[in-house]
Order: sequence, then structure tokens, then C-alpha cells
Amino acid sequence: MSFRRIRAIARKEFHHILRDRATLILVLFTPTVLLLLMAYALTVDLQHVPLAVLDYDRSPASRAFVEQITAGEDLDLYAQVNSPGELEAMLMRGEIKAALILHPQFAEDLHAARGIPLQVIVDGTEPESGGFAVEQIGRRAEEFVTRALAGRLQTLGLPAGALQPIDLRVRTWYNPGLDPQNDLIPGLVSIILGFPALSVALTLAHEREHGTMEQLMATPVGRAELLLGKMLPYILVGLFNAIFIPLLAILWFDTPFNGSFLLFFLLSAVFLFSILGIGLIVGVFMRTQAAALALSFLLIFFPGFFMTGVFFPIASMPEIVRMEALSLPGTHYAIITRSIFLTGVGLEVLWPYAVMMAGLGFVFVGIAALFFKKRLG
Amino acid sequence: MITRIIGLAVKEVIHLRRDWWLPAFMLIGGALELLVVGWATSRPITNLPLMVLDQDLSRASRRVVTALENTGTFAPAVMGGNRQEIEEAMDRGRINAALIIPPGFSQAVASPNGRPVLAVILNGAESVSATAALRAIEGTARSLGEAITVQRLGLDPETFAGFDPSLRVWFNEALSEAYYTVPAELALMLEFVVMLFAALTFSRERELGTLEQLLVMPFSSLEIIIGKALPVLLVGFFSFNVMLALVYFAFSIPIRGSLLLLELLAAGYLLVEMSKGMVISIVSRTQHQAFLLVMMIGMTDFMFTGYAAPVESMPEVMQLIANVIPAHHWLEILRGILLKGAGLDILWPSVAALAILGLVIVTFSLRFVRRALD
Repeated sequence: MSFRRIRAIARKEFHHILRDRATLILVLFTPTVLLLLMAYALTVDLQHVPLAVLDYDRSPASRAFVEQITAGEDLDLYAQVNSPGELEAMLMRGEIKAALILHPQFAEDLHAARGIPLQVIVDGTEPESGGFAVEQIGRRAEEFVTRALAGRLQTLGLPAGALQPIDLRVRTWYNPGLDPQNDLIPGLVSIILGFPALSVALTLAHEREHGTMEQLMATPVGRAELLLGKMLPYILVGLFNAIFIPLLAILWFDTPFNGSFLLFFLLSAVFLFSILGIGLIVGVFMRTQAAALALSFLLIFFPGFFMTGVFFPIASMPEIVRMEALSLPGTHYAIITRSIFLTGVGLEVLWPYAVMMAGLGFVFVGIAALFFKKRLG
Repeated sequence: MITRIIGLAVKEVIHLRRDWWLPAFMLIGGALELLVVGWATSRPITNLPLMVLDQDLSRASRRVVTALENTGTFAPAVMGGNRQEIEEAMDRGRINAALIIPPGFSQAVASPNGRPVLAVILNGAESVSATAALRAIEGTARSLGEAITVQRLGLDPETFAGFDPSLRVWFNEALSEAYYTVPAELALMLEFVVMLFAALTFSRERELGTLEQLLVMPFSSLEIIIGKALPVLLVGFFSFNVMLALVYFAFSIPIRGSLLLLELLAAGYLLVEMSKGMVISIVSRTQHQAFLLVMMIGMTDFMFTGYAAPVESMPEVMQLIANVIPAHHWLEILRGILLKGAGLDILWPSVAALAILGLVIVTFSLRFVRRALD
């Protein structure tokens, strides 16, 4: 293995990339565009969820209750209706995401401190809004009843707080206020930085499709050298993004960054090595770029998006899927990214993930090199 | 003309046969991916690691832990020895939440004026899990609190004053997560399959230099376009049906509305997405470029479908943009027909929007590609 030969291949690859301006710009800035897009689109605060109310009681108490429920920005009173049929039609058309039905004895029950039946209907096709509406209604209803019953508790000689006697003290570490943007953005960074792997799969297939692989093999460059040389430019492109994308997150989105930037950079290099390894495998097995692309989507893009624990916790996945998730470099890298951004821990905690990524990388590159020979032979 | 178009379509198919990976991906790859991704993401959040530091060690404190475990959100709790242990486990990301039950908890529960304290630490580095953990803990605390109050007030638990909310989830009575994740994932996979396939048609010929040959043959540009489009549409349509079967059989998602209507609208939607792919295909000089453009446009569309975040909660500008994204209306239709059993009488706004957008996109694409070819 000679570094000079690897460099020669890398330089050739660089020429290919630089010659084609449009592709270069796309390769460099697709990650930026995607980060901006996803960070904005995925971290919206749930608010203005449309709600319809069917109030059979029409008493001052029930009106006050409805007012309290829709007082905030989160639930909007879309309509007061007179029949269940109207509610049904609105839910069907998707005009409302939730509905609240107050029964005729609302005020009476409230006064008598009996259980107050409260019917909530949500649109089960849109979990976010529906679940959110249920939660908000529950919380507001509790506040309302606490206030209404405070007087009654006092006559029993109990403090008003006795209705909710447990004093729950919640603290959120690393991300006070539990702002989803703060941990989603580091997660997105980890997804986006893996994209060069798709390009590397394409370039190998490109050589084969154009028949230039033969020429390359006729040079004294070895197989591993060729593969590493092919990887190198994309590792550099990835490292450019490993500096640029976190800066964008920190400066534009005010994402906290509590760890070491140098460590992040180094571990990003390890991640790029291992994810590009998958790209090489795809490139080695596929004969055309179209097929390489298709397989990259199956092996790199969609799993990287859905299965690395950024959107859905790995702990909750079925056993087999969890195994698959753990064999993706992105899973370990997502943990590293979030830890360095938010927890601020160093290598003393992160080394197992780094070792896993490096190990996977060697396995992937090894497989690629092994089959590269066979496929050419 | 027809024979020539068929000839062209056959030529495309022969290209595909040489490289069987591509058609395999186009036909069943999307479905396979849907199976894995759907399986991974269509479940409630469970099994989150939780650490408990029980400094009270009483029956009351054990009841809290059992109640938490019974929510199903958490894995069986790991008992911690001290605060340091919690801190370390948090730093290492081993746990999503920790519960500290301070000494004197059971006494506070027993005394008529006591305020029993429960301290919770959440790992904010994973906000999805932390939010789920918080919900479960709050719910548990609330019902325990209620039980305590009922006892203190000497009330009959049956008639306890408070709300008795009954929740009904329409269109998804069993509260299956798959109902909302899987149809959206189907929409995503389908869009990528069709757009990618279409985007590679001309860019591939151009990159390999065979576009020239195609152009000197005695075909009109319209014939070329139709010949290229037919295989994409057929494969896309087949792929859609495989995915639909998967959704129905593997994920038990009902098809409550009219299947015929769904198929018709799917065909229309595929035509729209294919047209977008064709435009990409004609502006890209290489397949690599085409791919990068597909990824950018596909992901943009996905963000606006309402899969991850509801469109009504987005800023106004983004809501306006969502209106011109065909995938947004398509998901509305797909969910409507599958889950709500809605017909044209209800879905017409989405169908009309999709039709208008489709007409604009298809016409533009046809003219654009024709001009580029001539």
C-alpha cells in the first residue's frame, strides 16, 4: 500500500468532482439545504390545533370551561356545534383534529363535586395533533376543577393544593425546557453528514458503467489503494460539512454545543470512514449507477433516516430491528453528536461508540476490497 | 405511432433487464423498505431505561415504582445506589429518566396534610424519549395523587369529584401507531421510487452519450417521452400495489374507502411525480446530479406532507407552500380513503388541488422536455 498511489487516485477523483460544477455545488450544499429545511419543518411547536365543542349544558360554568380550554395558543375553538353529526362531518373532512362534548348536567355535577363525564374525540389519523389535544384538555380540565373545588376543600380544612398532593419536581438535564429543536438538530446533523456515502457508491459504479474501471486496473494501483483513493475526496467533502453544518446549527439555530469541537471533528472522520465503507460495498456490487443509487437508498438513506434513533428511540424497536440499527454507523454517530452537542462529555464516555464505528468501517471496507477482486476476476 | 412507442418502451425494458437490480428495487425495494421502516417505527414508545433511587424504601415508594413500570413506557427499573450513579448513567446516555423518592415519602403520603415529593430527572439529550417519559411519570403521579386525595377526603372513589374523561379515537379505535406512520411512509417510498426512476431516464442516456442516437431515430419527441414514461408509470403502479398489499396484510391497516377511487387517484399522482422526475432528468447532465436533485426535492416534499409535524402548526408561509406540494394532498387522500373511508364528497378539495397542480406540472413538464429534446 502506497500513500502516493492513493493520493493519485484521490486527485483524479477530485478532478472529476471539480470539473462538474453543478454536481460540486450540489454535493457541497445539499446538506445545508436539507438541514435548514428539516430543522424548520420538523421542530414546529404544536399550536392552533382546531377543536370543535358540543356543549349540551350551555350554562355559565360550561361556557367558562370551554373558554379556559381554548384560552391558549395551542387549541383553537373552530366551532360550537349543536349536534354530533356536525362534529362527525368536520372530523371526516379534517377541519378539526379533536372534539369535546360536555353533557347536560355539567354545571350540576361540578357543583355537587361528582364525577364529570367529559367526552373527547380525536382524529386518530394524525397522532401529533390528536394526542396533544387530549393532553392539553386533560391538563386544563384539571386546573379548572382544582379551582372550582378549592372552596369545598377549604371547608373540609384542607389546603387547596390537596387535590394534587404529589409534589412532582422535574428537572431536565442537558436541555432545560426540553426544547425538541436542541436535540433534533444534532440528530439531523448526524443524518446529513452521512450523505457523501451515496456519492461514493455512485463514483465506483460510474467507472464501471463507463468502462474506465479496466483502465484503472491496468495501472499499478492496488485494490485497497483504489478504494481508499476513491473514498478520500468524499471524506474531505464530509469533513468540510462536519465543520460547516455544526457552525450553522450553532450560529443560526442557537443549538448549544457543550463538548469539544476537535473531538467532534475527529469522530466525524471515523464516522465518514465507516459510512463510506457501506457506499464502497454498494459501488463494488452494482454495475450501473442507477442500480447503485437504488441500493444506496435501501441500505444507506432510508435506514439512516428512520433507524438511527433520531426520530424514534432505539430502545423501543423490536429486537431484530434494534440489531440492525446497532450495525449502522449512523446509530453510534447520532449518540456521539447529541452527546457532544448537549451532554458535553468527552472520549472517556464516547470511546465505545467510536470503537464500534471504526470496527464497522474496517469490516465494510474489508468486504468491499474482498469482493472487488472477485467481481473483477 | 403506437408501435413505435411500444418499441421504445420495450427498449427501456431491455435496458432494465441487463441490470436486474434496478427493476428489482423499483418493483419491490420500496415495499421491503416499507416493511422494515414501518416495523421499526410503528410502535408506541416502550422499554425506555429508567433508574430509580428509592431513599424511602417503603410500601408506598414501591407502589410508585410498580405503577411506573405498569405504564409500559419503561423497561423494568434499575435500582440506583446514589446520586452519583444517576449522574454517571445520564452522562453515558444509559438512561432516559431517573426517579428519586426522597426519605419521608411514605410519611407524607400517610399524614393528612403532607406533600409527598417525587423528584424526576430527564435526559434532555433525547427529547422524544424524555417527553414520553415525562408523560408517563406525570400520569402516574396524577393517578396516585388522586388516590391519596380520595382517601384523605374520605370520599367514595366511585363518586370522586373530578373529570372523568372518556376518550374516543376515531378512525383508529385500537390506537395503532401503524395507522398513521405506515401510510405516510408508503407515500414517501412511492414518491422516491417514481421520481428517481423517472429522473434517471434522460440523464442516463445523456451521460452515456446515447441520447444523440435516440434523437436521430425517426421518433417524434412526444413518442420518446411517452415511451420513456410508460415503463416508469407501470413499474410505479405495480410498486404502489405491492406496498398497498403490504400495508393491508402485514400492518393490518384497513382500506375503508373505495379501492377503485384510490387506484385511480394513485395513477394520477404517479403521473405528477413522474413528470417532476422527467424535468429533473432533462436538466441534469449526469445521473449523479439527477440523484442529488431528487433527494432535495423529495425530502422537501416529505417535510410538507404532515408526517412528522402537522402542517396547521407550521408558520403561515410554510402552510402556503404545503398547498402547492402534490404529496401533501396525496397523503390527505391516502389517509382519507384508507382510514376514514372517505369518498369524493369529502376528499374533493384535496382531489381538486391535486388535479390542478397535476395539470400545471404535467403540462409544464411535457412542454419543457419536448423543447429540450427538439
